[in-house]
Amino acid sequence: MSIYGKYADYLPQILASVLQQIQGIGQEYSEKYGQKLYEHLEGRVKGEESMTQKCERKGLPHTPESALIENRDSIGFRIVCNFIDDIYTCIDLLKKQDNFKIIKEKDYITNAKPNGYRSYHLIMEVVTPFEDVHGNKPGTYYVEIQLRTIAMDTWASLEHEMKYKHDIKNPERISKELKRVADELASCDVSMQTIRQLIKEG
Amino acid sequence: MKILLAEDESQLNRVLTVAMQKSGYDVDSVFNGQEAVDAVKKHPYDVIIMDIMMPVKNGLDAVKEIRATGDKTYIMMLTAKSEIDDKVTGLDVGADDYLTKPFSLKELLARLRSKERRSEDYNSTQELNYDNLKLDLNSQELSSNNSISLSKQETGLMRYFLLNPGKAISTEELFNHVWKNEDESEDVVWVYISFLRSKLASIGANVQISGEKGGEFCLERA
Repeated sequence: MSIYGKYADYLPQILASVLQQIQGIGQEYSEKYGQKLYEHLEGRVKGEESMTQKCERKGLPHTPESALIENRDSIGFRIVCNFIDDIYTCIDLLKKQDNFKIIKEKDYITNAKPNGYRSYHLIMEVVTPFEDVHGNKPGTYYVEIQLRTIAMDTWASLEHEMKYKHDIKNPERISKELKRVADELASCDVSMQTIRQLIKEG
Repeated sequence: MKILLAEDESQLNRVLTVAMQKSGYDVDSVFNGQEAVDAVKKHPYDVIIMDIMMPVKNGLDAVKEIRATGDKTYIMMLTAKSEIDDKVTGLDVGADDYLTKPFSLKELLARLRSKERRSEDYNSTQELNYDNLKLDLNSQELSSNNSISLSKQETGLMRYFLLNPGKAISTEELFNHVWKNEDESEDVVWVYISFLRSKLASIGANVQISGEKGGEFCLERA
């Protein structure tokens, strides 16, 4: 039996409909302003194995309640933008959707993690036509969204590579260099943002 | 500090060498201009003390040769007479300071201490602070809540603001201090003010640069 129980079948459908809705927001924006709102968008349903391991780590029972309520990243999206201010535009547009309710925000862009990680994390409640764990129909599901620039995304991939390689000879040196390069990428992001502003001002 | 002394009068050379060594300096002593030029090619020095009147090669020619190789070591000339022309020529060929003979040992040692202070305490300040803002000049890193890297010019401009917080500084003054030897025009100042403003905001600094395009700018608490 899946850790997601009878709700397992709903998750890919919710994923697809939220994906479509965000794509719609992007399309409307580019038609209106002639610029891309985001560079790319990807989504996934957290694998059962990975969700089970996460519940295990947190000492939670292997139940749909743990997987869908205690953990709020069973459905996740990543929106990767060209510029920093596009991220904030995206957030504003997500907040305007009637069936999305943002319940938690973490701004790791203005408050970067000590290792240099930058990204904006949102947890939303999404109203869906499907029954939820509480028996409500239409039911509410949690969706996690991570928003970042291309530079932040590239950095996160590199950091991810380091995290999952356990035989690095000099981890402190690599961590230090990763932190430095995160600050350099942030510098480029902020400079590009500023140049964009200067261009706009004319 | 490592010092090179070029002085042909053997007794004076001996006295100066011993006195400087007693003050904790590492001293190489030579007896003419040519030996000085050769020593500079082989070893790094923090200060060169050079007599003018010397056999084989005089001090002025030695200084000219040393400077021609691109060497920028601090040079103090010892002029035999208090003639203005000697001092002017010495400074013009590339010396940084001079002492007129006869001079007191006390004064020479005080000047060396002053030199040491200038290079260690004043010039090589590696970190500047204001409120919650920190600029690391070595790594060109600006930080408060977060940290962010700065380019060379951004670092130069931020450094100048941090050395003069709370003062209104004109666009022209900023340009002259940060871009003095570069092929640039004054409108570069506004661009770099804009870069620094965004970067200060992105790290959550409690300070800001106030002022408007083309006018005076001031680093102050937000």
